[in-house]
Amino acid sequence: MWYRRFGAVDTTSRSNEITRKKLRTRLSILSWPKPKGGPHHAVCHFCDTLHVAEPIPEGSRVDCICCGATLFQNRSASLVRVTAFSVTALFLMLVVHSAPFISMDAGGMRTVLTLPGAAKALIDDGSLIVGCGVALFTIVTPLILSGGLVYVCGPLLFGKSAPGAKMVTRWMSRTEPWNMIEVFLLGVLVSLLKLGHLAELHFGVGFWAFAALMFCMAAAVAAIDKRELWDRLEVAGAP
Amino acid sequence: MNGICKNIPRAANQGLAGCHVCEKVSLISAVNCPRCGTHLHFRKPDSINRTIALMIAAAIMYIPANILPIMSIRELGVTTESTIVTGLIQFWEARSYPIAIVIFSASILIPLLKIFALIWLCAAAKGIVPHSAKILGKVYWITELLGRWSMVDIFVVAILVTMVQLGNYMVVTPGPGALAFAGVVILTMFAAMSFDPKLLWDQLEREAAEAESEKNTERE
Repeated sequence: MWYRRFGAVDTTSRSNEITRKKLRTRLSILSWPKPKGGPHHAVCHFCDTLHVAEPIPEGSRVDCICCGATLFQNRSASLVRVTAFSVTALFLMLVVHSAPFISMDAGGMRTVLTLPGAAKALIDDGSLIVGCGVALFTIVTPLILSGGLVYVCGPLLFGKSAPGAKMVTRWMSRTEPWNMIEVFLLGVLVSLLKLGHLAELHFGVGFWAFAALMFCMAAAVAAIDKRELWDRLEVAGAP
Repeated sequence: MNGICKNIPRAANQGLAGCHVCEKVSLISAVNCPRCGTHLHFRKPDSINRTIALMIAAAIMYIPANILPIMSIRELGVTTESTIVTGLIQFWEARSYPIAIVIFSASILIPLLKIFALIWLCAAAKGIVPHSAKILGKVYWITELLGRWSMVDIFVVAILVTMVQLGNYMVVTPGPGALAFAGVVILTMFAAMSFDPKLLWDQLEREAAEAESEKNTERE
């Protein structure tokens, strides 16, 4: 044959094996289904090596035989995790946008930082493009990502596909590199150090919600392999 | 050749292409991916030309990004303009070394390294410099991963502009350098996205084939 088979790297530990098995039988509909037909192939993004993608146990990963890059991984309880984390992220976004983020008292005045406020301040001061960029990277893309994940993965939990799910998934993969929540958090820390000696700073609920949002977004995006999501959409019969 | 994997099938040689969006592998003759409708191609179209064009644009933008002030601070009627480098020096002089290092790597080191890494990758993919595709693949991966973090400076400006609005006492306004710097970050990100690491392996394959044919002619 012109393709080669390879073994999967099993990363599960033995002590978890029994509970995992129980969980798996209970959530049997939730483990990675394969679309009809086959054999299914996988192409390495880096070196274009062709592999046969056979089903692998939950919690394991497959690496490219040629260059060693990760081909795909079967995350355990992927759909449940994605939905849980992205729903949480949506709620946290509500808190981030409505609760005070950081407030500063200096010279008898108080200024408050909010995410839309930061974008608006830049636009008001004449940096229209940079302001729109900040709004795009910190408000719009996280919203598209987490909203899209809820919209696509929520119905998939019940084996159904939402109308337009494929289009939404395409948009998510397009916006993913532009989600800069964690970079903004680093920016907040740097500017706090810049302002720390100048004024008295108060951390609001919004700040902690933002830090939690960063973790939830990262966990939601990492909880499911792109390939698994598309396989599930195909099995659910998305048009 | 160094690091090439022998006797392993590559998708393009079989007429197969992996979809960039949904990763389904299908025959290139299908034109569009049967699963998600994305246009199929073996390699990213015009990869090296696009990468080089975007990178030249980024390199040009890098000059105003460092010369022009990213923000101006008006303190008690006195206006001082702050560029990326002066902001960095301030942190260094204030003995905040960790933060100075973070700013230095995010706003000076990463954009420069990115530009050099992409030049190196393009040269290697064109066969101008010898390379190990495995190592350069890692270089590409890191380049793509680190790119976003340069944006931190723009966010710092955004936050300071929002928070330091203290009437006559102190006001911060954004400068034209911020736009140029945001341009550098966005352009280098697009440049990294348009580069296709598979071209590195294609070049190795080509070199191996050439060596093979030379051997054959020598034998004859």
